[in-house]
Amino acid sequence: MIQIKNLSLVVGDFSLRDINLVIGDKEYFVILGPTGMGKTVLIECIAGLHKVKGEIWIDHENFTDLPPEARGVGYVPQDYVLFPFLNVADNIAFGLRKLKRPKGELKGRINALSELLTISHLLKRDPRSLSGGEKQRVAIARALASSPKILLLDEPLSAVDIETKTRLWEELRRIHSLTQTTVVHVTHNFGEAFFLGSQMAIMNDGEIMQVGRPTDVFRKPNSKFVADFLGMRNLFQGVSVVQNGNAHINVDGVDIVSAVNKSGNVYVSIRPEEVFVSLRPIESSARNSFYGEIERIVDEGNIIGITVNVGIPFVVSITRRSFDDMGLRIGMKVYLTFKATSVHVF
Amino acid sequence: MLRAWRGIASERAFNGALISALVLVTLFFVGLVISLISYTDWNTFIAALLSDEILFAIKLSVITATIATVVSVLIAIPVAYAISRTEFWGKDIVDSLLDLPIVISPIALGAGLLIFFNTPVGAAINSNVKFVFAVPGIVLAQVTVVCALGIRLLKSTFDSVDHRYEQVSRTLGCSKASTFFRVTLPLARNGLIAASILTWARALGEFGATVTLAGATPMKTETLPIAIFLSLAGANIGKAIAVIFILIAIAVIALLLLRKITGRRYQI
Repeated sequence: MIQIKNLSLVVGDFSLRDINLVIGDKEYFVILGPTGMGKTVLIECIAGLHKVKGEIWIDHENFTDLPPEARGVGYVPQDYVLFPFLNVADNIAFGLRKLKRPKGELKGRINALSELLTISHLLKRDPRSLSGGEKQRVAIARALASSPKILLLDEPLSAVDIETKTRLWEELRRIHSLTQTTVVHVTHNFGEAFFLGSQMAIMNDGEIMQVGRPTDVFRKPNSKFVADFLGMRNLFQGVSVVQNGNAHINVDGVDIVSAVNKSGNVYVSIRPEEVFVSLRPIESSARNSFYGEIERIVDEGNIIGITVNVGIPFVVSITRRSFDDMGLRIGMKVYLTFKATSVHVF
Repeated sequence: MLRAWRGIASERAFNGALISALVLVTLFFVGLVISLISYTDWNTFIAALLSDEILFAIKLSVITATIATVVSVLIAIPVAYAISRTEFWGKDIVDSLLDLPIVISPIALGAGLLIFFNTPVGAAINSNVKFVFAVPGIVLAQVTVVCALGIRLLKSTFDSVDHRYEQVSRTLGCSKASTFFRVTLPLARNGLIAASILTWARALGEFGATVTLAGATPMKTETLPIAIFLSLAGANIGKAIAVIFILIAIAVIALLLLRKITGRRYQI
């Protein structure tokens, strides 16, 4: 168990203020928040890379002043930081060499880890020649090598494309259930937090805004910031049935069609910029069309975010030009149209 | 239209000025080498090159410069790392003081050393290991002059090592010291080699401090630069030219080696 008590820290012009957090054993704990709001610094504090005010306890032991090497915490930085002068196998073995185990045991451990992370074929490679996803696996294998009780992941999937991303989410989930390690995972991607987290904390401007199960935080945001932050992503939970090659997902009575054939309990997300707004119904091949009232307008300069309630709240981004052309106002009724291929199901 | 012409004309004039500066400098150095070659009598050149005195000077220079480089780098590694990575009171002052030997005339440093060996402490040291007018004096003079250069070069090398590698190494269970040897030094490898080559080349050419502390005794404290000095003093131009070519050859080899090892990335 990790207990963070009244932790404060100032780094340059940035600060963490009075952080209190309890992370249970074997939890997959996600810290979610906008970029540059202290999430990285917070897990670096757990790793022991900063001198802090306040206390950090791990398993009822005060870790606050322990140097990083004495903590036994695995850390995977955002940019992986693989040692360029070592090959993949030696990178993974880096922390093990310190333990001075017999050679056979070392080799067995490297093989087991590379099988777990499906990187056995990469062991002889130069880490600089790997793809983002491969680097990430190597960095995780290296962090897991000495069997840490806690694994810290800093934006582990920020460098991979969106399709690889969902596959890697399942990988991380599998690794977590196999290793039974407590994971603290930092991300700005709500889908990631939703999919992976058994618990999550929302962070903004160096403070923890809300802690809880992802579904609870999503349903009951406790502040305007959390609501805005989560609301921007059209993410819904629903039941999917596949008919005629398309999935029909029922979200609170609204039927959304997706090209992704996955049935049962699913999450659905639609990127706000992929939804087309019009004052009249439009003829198109797009499978999803809804009618609803504008509830909110958020002016972001060139892009304007509007929330339309079609039974469920949809957030849509449109350009200022089309916003002005249509003369949109709160309370107006509009049509929302989007393609089945724009509906992400997981 | 006129403005456009004016713009083009001024750009041409500027480019012309830049290129002529480049051509003049190149011609100057090429001219120096041509004048050396035209002055060379090849028979005396070969004879001088194979003379006992020059062979001695080559051997002495290579040995002293190598020892001076090893000593300087061993001093420079911890000092440069300390300046690069730690914060302490008066760091700026120390940092500037360490630049002094680079800009001070070597003869002043040599004179300083000579005077030091006349103080009671210096004299006591000199009676155990003889530095003044002796070979250890050559090494000491070279170290005094080139050590600061080694520190400066290694500091920029350590500055360029991303400290995140060190942080990750710490989280993987390595202490600060072990991280230094297992991560920092391997990452600084190219910079270390480059710094060693440049330090060595500089030590090999050192004259001012060496001649002041160790003197210019033929076949005793006669390094290559001192051999040039002695040859010119004895009006033996052929011998001086032979030694100049040896120094040029060594410098070219050192620079080529530097390029080969570090790619084109290393900045002096």
